[in-house]
Amino acid sequence: MVLLQLLINGIQTGTIYALTAIGFALIFGSTRIFHFAHGAIFVIAAYVFKFTFGDLSLHWGIATIAAVSTAVAVGLLVNFLIYVPIQRHEGSYFTIFVASFGVVIVVQNAIAIIFGRGFVAIETPLSNAVEVVSGLLMAPLFGIALVCSVIILISLHLTLTRTHVGIALRALSQNPELVRTFGLSTRRLSTYAFALGSALVVPGAIFTGAVSGLNPTVGLHIMLISLVATIAGGIGSIWGAAWIAFAIGVAENLVLWQMDSQWSEAVAFAFLLAFLIFRPAGLFRLASAR
Amino acid sequence: MSVYLLNVGVFICIYAILALTLNVLIGYAGVFTLAHAAFFGIGAYVAAFVAMNLSSSLVVVLVASVLTAGILSVIIALPALRVRDEYFVVVSLAIQILCVTVFSEWKGFTGGLGGIVNIPLPEIFGGTIATPMQFFLLALGCLAVITLIIGLMVRGSFGRSLMAVRDNESAALALGKNVALIKTLAAALSSGLAAVAGVVYAYYLSFINVQTFTLDTSVLVMAMVIIGGTGTMCGPILGAALLTMLPNALSYVSFLPQTEIGSIQQLLYGLAMILMMIFRPGGIVGAGRSKRNRN
Repeated sequence: MVLLQLLINGIQTGTIYALTAIGFALIFGSTRIFHFAHGAIFVIAAYVFKFTFGDLSLHWGIATIAAVSTAVAVGLLVNFLIYVPIQRHEGSYFTIFVASFGVVIVVQNAIAIIFGRGFVAIETPLSNAVEVVSGLLMAPLFGIALVCSVIILISLHLTLTRTHVGIALRALSQNPELVRTFGLSTRRLSTYAFALGSALVVPGAIFTGAVSGLNPTVGLHIMLISLVATIAGGIGSIWGAAWIAFAIGVAENLVLWQMDSQWSEAVAFAFLLAFLIFRPAGLFRLASAR
Repeated sequence: MSVYLLNVGVFICIYAILALTLNVLIGYAGVFTLAHAAFFGIGAYVAAFVAMNLSSSLVVVLVASVLTAGILSVIIALPALRVRDEYFVVVSLAIQILCVTVFSEWKGFTGGLGGIVNIPLPEIFGGTIATPMQFFLLALGCLAVITLIIGLMVRGSFGRSLMAVRDNESAALALGKNVALIKTLAAALSSGLAAVAGVVYAYYLSFINVQTFTLDTSVLVMAMVIIGGTGTMCGPILGAALLTMLPNALSYVSFLPQTEIGSIQQLLYGLAMILMMIFRPGGIVGAGRSKRNRN
């Protein structure tokens, strides 16, 4: 029964990880920008939702719209104000990564100053656990998160396979030169990738806030998971990233059965290290080697 | 007042050592690591262990720490040989997190979250180093020696091979350079010397715990190197001095809330990192644009 409970918790964590990882995988895969600040956008979205829903007690729909629009706006601003000028004079991953890391530090501390460093939770009766079977606790939020994630994943899949923008984005991740040859603007496509990827952090951010609470550094952890998933899944493979992120979430919880919780993160990273050393191209490699 | 200044001086030296040694990897070898604080920690923990259990001699402690960190540097050298660029950044992040977990969980050796207290004072040539002035001279001496070692290395043939590997690995390989050996040695040199900062730190505070060796410190040292100027000798020292003095300077600005000084400091250097990358990627001392352009 304990194992089943852990499995359920794992599925919940895994879906949150998967949604965030997909956003990063989409941006990194199509633009090759090492967008570390994705984690910062996650934190911003979570706190905007917390502020509008929890503190201003607005309707959850309005709060969600506020969170989505802030996330997209910040994602696009980071792209236009930081990545585009850097790419104009220098393309090194190093420069972009440092600037992106700078964004994470600024956002983390700005939020710490405004909202405090402690844990805050998004209060909702939906996160109260109910005993489903004897010894098995489940919150209604779990079901909602799962259904939302499935809907989002299906619509994302349809967007990427059925619309022009989606197909162009996938093409961009495989061969940017060819995309340019076809007369498509890679800059405009990057904008779409940033908008879509940033919007995808919102559900994960809201569910994290309601399930386990928020603090200004929560973005770092989720970002590390997304990085691990994107790289282990194979850069360019969005579903690879989603599956790995999901697996990490489940594994992180199942590990608790035998080990202390302090080790759960370490296990995920030991896994990554082994992966990178023995299979650097990732599990679900799509595009050709760089 | 002079004690206060000496205290700031000791910390500037400690961070300058960390920044200089990190610069060997970031600036000269082109290996971008975020695990530097882990080696700072390894140096400090080994120093504490040796000083409390084996010998009070500063020389013995230094040798033990430097050797341990140098040997353990294979944990970053090995992946650095397998993966590059973004991949390695992620690997080093993972190593940093793993090390922090080990520091806080291996309670027998590191004292867990509580850390290690009452580390005895170091002895050298029969005397004890005890006053702030003596500690400042010790830190300054270590910094001077390390600056000398790295300065000589950069000018020598090893430094040139290292930069050749950074600028174009395939070309260096084609010229018969042993790339794997060069990278491994650079990692050992950088990590081993970073342990010296750990030794000075552990002795100076006579207390260490895991808080000092987290990712935040790695990022702070990275910011020092980048703001000062990667691939230069004075850049990291300048960056270390500026960023170490920043919180002290901020505490004189009366309208800032004292409890938020830490956050404001981080916010400022985060902002400095962004602006620097947009307008002057080479750092304050660096040669301006396109020096690191490898694509």
